[in-house]
Amino acid sequence: MKHSLILEVNGERHEIAVEASATLLHVLREDLDLIGPKKGCDSGGCGCCTILLDGRAVYSCMVFAMSAQGKKITTIEGLPKDGKLDPLQEAFIQSGAVQCGYCTSGMIMTAKEFLANSPAPGDPEIRRAISGNLCRCTGYHKTIDAIRTAAFSR
Amino acid sequence: MSKLNIVGHSVLRTDAYDKVTGGKGYTVNLRLPGMLHGKLLRSPHPHARVLRVDTSLAAKLPGVKAILTAADVPQIKYHPVYFSPSEAASMVRDMLILATTVRFAGEPVAAVAATRPEIAEEALELIRVDYEPLPAVFDATSAMQPGSPQIYEHAPKNIVMNPSFNFGDLQKGFEEADYVFENTYRTQRVHTCYMEPRVCVVDSDTSGNLTIWSSTQHIFGLREKLAFALGIPISKVRAVKPEYIGGGFGGKLDMGFLEPVAALLSLKTGRPVRIEHSRYEDFITTARNPFEVQMKTGVKKDGTFTARSAKSILDTGAHATHGAVVLMVHGFFGFLLPYRCPNQTWEGMTVYTNNIIGGGFRGYGAPQAAFAVESQIDEICDKLKLDPIEFRLKNAHVQGEPHPFDPNFTLSTYRLADCLEKGAKQIGWSKRLPVGASPGTKKRGIGFACQPLWVSGCMGFPDIYEHSGAILKLNVDGTVNLAIATVDMGCGQNTVLSQIVAEELGVPVTAIRVTHADTDTVPFDAPSHASRVTYSAGNAVKAAAASAKKRVFQVASGMLNTAPENLEIVDSRVQVMGTPANGISLADVVKRAESPYVKMVPDGMERSPIEEKGTIMGIACLAPSSNPSPSAVQFVEVEVDTETGEVKVLRVAYAHDIGKVINPSGAEGQVEGGFQQGLGYALMENLTFDPSSGACLAADFLNYKMPTAVEMPPEITSLWVESDEPTGPFGAKSLAEPCLIVPAPAIANAIYNAVGVRVRDLPITPEKILAALGKLDPA
Amino acid sequence: MSISGVKEFCRPQSAGNAVELLAKHGNRAVLLAGGTFLHGLFSRGLGSGVEVLVDLQHAGLSYVNEAHGGLALGAMTTFRELAATEQVQKMPEFGALLDSLHCPPAQIRNQATVGGCVASAYTLFDVPVAFLALDASVKSLGPQGPREMPLEKFFVDYFEHSLKKGEILTDVLLPKPAARSASAFLKLETNSNDLALLNVAVRLSLDKSGLCQESRVVLGGGVGKTPVRALSCEALLNGQRPSRALFENAAQKVSADIHPVSDHRASGQYRRAVAKVYLRRTLLRAAERLGIEIA
Repeated sequence: MKHSLILEVNGERHEIAVEASATLLHVLREDLDLIGPKKGCDSGGCGCCTILLDGRAVYSCMVFAMSAQGKKITTIEGLPKDGKLDPLQEAFIQSGAVQCGYCTSGMIMTAKEFLANSPAPGDPEIRRAISGNLCRCTGYHKTIDAIRTAAFSR
Repeated sequence: MSKLNIVGHSVLRTDAYDKVTGGKGYTVNLRLPGMLHGKLLRSPHPHARVLRVDTSLAAKLPGVKAILTAADVPQIKYHPVYFSPSEAASMVRDMLILATTVRFAGEPVAAVAATRPEIAEEALELIRVDYEPLPAVFDATSAMQPGSPQIYEHAPKNIVMNPSFNFGDLQKGFEEADYVFENTYRTQRVHTCYMEPRVCVVDSDTSGNLTIWSSTQHIFGLREKLAFALGIPISKVRAVKPEYIGGGFGGKLDMGFLEPVAALLSLKTGRPVRIEHSRYEDFITTARNPFEVQMKTGVKKDGTFTARSAKSILDTGAHATHGAVVLMVHGFFGFLLPYRCPNQTWEGMTVYTNNIIGGGFRGYGAPQAAFAVESQIDEICDKLKLDPIEFRLKNAHVQGEPHPFDPNFTLSTYRLADCLEKGAKQIGWSKRLPVGASPGTKKRGIGFACQPLWVSGCMGFPDIYEHSGAILKLNVDGTVNLAIATVDMGCGQNTVLSQIVAEELGVPVTAIRVTHADTDTVPFDAPSHASRVTYSAGNAVKAAAASAKKRVFQVASGMLNTAPENLEIVDSRVQVMGTPANGISLADVVKRAESPYVKMVPDGMERSPIEEKGTIMGIACLAPSSNPSPSAVQFVEVEVDTETGEVKVLRVAYAHDIGKVINPSGAEGQVEGGFQQGLGYALMENLTFDPSSGACLAADFLNYKMPTAVEMPPEITSLWVESDEPTGPFGAKSLAEPCLIVPAPAIANAIYNAVGVRVRDLPITPEKILAALGKLDPA
Repeated sequence: MSISGVKEFCRPQSAGNAVELLAKHGNRAVLLAGGTFLHGLFSRGLGSGVEVLVDLQHAGLSYVNEAHGGLALGAMTTFRELAATEQVQKMPEFGALLDSLHCPPAQIRNQATVGGCVASAYTLFDVPVAFLALDASVKSLGPQGPREMPLEKFFVDYFEHSLKKGEILTDVLLPKPAARSASAFLKLETNSNDLALLNVAVRLSLDKSGLCQESRVVLGGGVGKTPVRALSCEALLNGQRPSRALFENAAQKVSADIHPVSDHRASGQYRRAVAKVYLRRTLLRAAERLGIEIA
């Protein structure tokens, strides 16, 4: 049985019909055709699905779509402004932080909230900030470089 | 060699922009009109006969379009390993797409295709399966005992293979030894943890032609295996290369159940069928095989090996899959070959159990061997008060020697000694304290491990493909299309190959476009595995670029009125060597070749020479001429909390004999990522199972412990020793796998230096350390 | 996923409304707080039979109020919201909360609620252990009306609490801390973002002469079916001057109070051995927050 739902995603309003059990991740990918948030484990363990809900990083696989009504949802697709990449996106490219890239969207969204609240983070804080985002390719080394670069290039 | 403008530089990843803005190229994104969703019904029993499968209720569920059971699949036994042909004598074909005897908990017995994934799941719950559970065995040693459940008729004592190799006179060697060391080492089952799940979409037409998209490391292997298992000609299967995949590490180096099942469901329904693994399914699909390695080593008091023998037992799980090859790589490149010793024996056993099946994983048998070999060397040095660096040098191979595996090759470039020196300096080896001497309750220690010999691909290995091909096409705007079957699984294969082409052709790397490829249109390339892409595929793309360049010069020679041998391409400009003024843009040359033979001009018509006409292509299909060995050493500094057993890695120095670094940033990424995997292997990862039911206890990221950013050391230094390998593209050898082979023994040795505790079975958990320190209360 | 049986999604606008919905739907309904624990259950196939989700985010339960010098936390207060309060940020009395709230990653902190965390009755969680060391009590609302009980009485067994059917947790109440108090929390885990192998929360309150007037020592993780209050340790600490020797003695005593389990993550022996070490370290951490010299 489908329930009608209004979601605001990346500044756009969407009226859709979803199952009560549908997760926000599922709805973003399947109903709204957004490929940025990714399914890595569907159980809040890997962080590939991380998006911002009212500016706060959450595992979208652990949010019921129905609970997200009335909130501002931001996915990686919503980061660029006026055609320009977010400094985090730019830094990830420049620092070599992207290998297979499957964790990248989640990493950047997590870092986006983190940097909004931490103007001058040290490396240990950056590590803790992304402790909920798993990566198997990079060893996190250049990911931390990228976040640090984005933090201090402001 | 002339100056390199692109190779050797940290060129930005060609696919990074796409990946930071969403990531379009993953197979997981693919949706086709009319697509159905498939799900696999998996056995809860680790060993059972499937007596009856009643699908009648499931078939009635609205939205269910097809159901498969064992009765619906071709009865063709196959092996799923991509890098070896189906008929290869050294491989064991013991799999069926859906079987009537299940041999591990999770083996599929039925499948459903439905209009929505939830419907397919619901349908699975409506399928009634009557099993006759059979006794199961979960460890290799027990499996070989009399009275153990016989898992296959074709494998008495559950032994798949039992090779042994002798060199010299072992008995004499032990007699000559001053000391003999006997130790057994054990490693655990771990999972590759690629972040993009295994996923495929298969479409079919009414003539039974199949198109398959899969998150795979080898499109040609997928095609061949799928065709073989379905009993159809390979020309009826087209495997499309994914733009890139979300990680593989060897875990996508074989055909799973999902691909042939999706194919059969598509043929049955006439619609595309998509199957995506849940993370649970991925955890029970592929793993690094656990090993037990029993070693007996004789040395002179100065550390020279006089005799080495080992017996290695590999638990291959319910199907042989990679077990035969992992065993041999382990035996040869892990034990017999890395060091010189005139008297050596190795015996290996690949054993069936009712555990999950083993797959490929970076290192492929060598991490298990290195843990044993490099730990034992450390133990020997500690006991005999020998310098561990000197010990390696004393027993190591020497540059210029014939390659110990195949004397047709030589160790033309071999720089283990330089790696040892550089790494030791970086970590501060000379300041290392004696065992346990670090003050305080949190004790520091330094240790290292080597992988003295490795491969750049599979040239020379029986029953393993090793050839590549590439097609280059030059465009009128000066860009270059590179069509190649090589899959980029995150290591940066697309970027490195683009760099090689760009360097050879004399164009910027941004001019190279890695395009669509599928098994119908591009030449064969062996899988993305075995540390082979830079060396092997790199050679092929370089040759293709050279071939294209030749044609460019032919066309340009007419335009510039000079012999082709006088030309060069610099920065997309075709010019007489050394005189940029006397040249034309590459784009203009291509335009000339592609433009009409007759051109209308103000005062009539202009004809260009017919010989200049035709698309400028470069095609090369070849096998590499050698298999040069890199070598690697990793030094680590750890801190061990002697009150809790917890281990922190503080610093890492990794030195690699690489030939030539094509992309330094990318190469560092391989070292850093490899260390995450190695750290996890050493200290925390463990794919565990219930000892009576075989159910997986660690099938999610909460229970399967993988290092997060917090566990990683803040300092990882990559040191490159470049030696210009003559058979490699621009001098390159390989990199990828040693990055994961050496961390575990390096960490184990560092722990020993810190606290005098030797743990011989992985993972080295805090509990094991505390127990070894005698700090656990009696139970 | 097994929650595909969920058909209805309710958004009660008050706690009373939520209670009515639970009464109406009985066992078919489940309360949705932050959702992280619930999704954890569902993704492991433990959600069959659930047909109605009752989303509490609009039920007026998100607040942090000063209450008689202590804190009254609405059940839907997220970890992040609680951690951001002046009290948790600055007061050494609430140090155990500062420590425990920062254990999970941001994605969990932004979603997980104090009520959901407590109501899960999962002994491997961290924040409830800190709450216990701070003498928390909980308020609930049911068909029979509201009631209050000490958090100590709330936990009964693995995943079992003493709320009656149809009751919902509405508040977590923290009393005004005694003067000269500090608390701390530490956790043993395999990697970050892990459930506790064991955890410890400690609260020390000193009298005017610097002796320990009152203490709380609580352990969770795999040391019992519910978090355990280490009364033997507390008895040893009370009336004594804090010192390394005292803390070491107290730590040794902890064995008497805990029943560490052996599971696939760690053995009971290991947990027992490390409990002593972690208790000592947590006591030192609290003492540091008191700003006193520890001999």
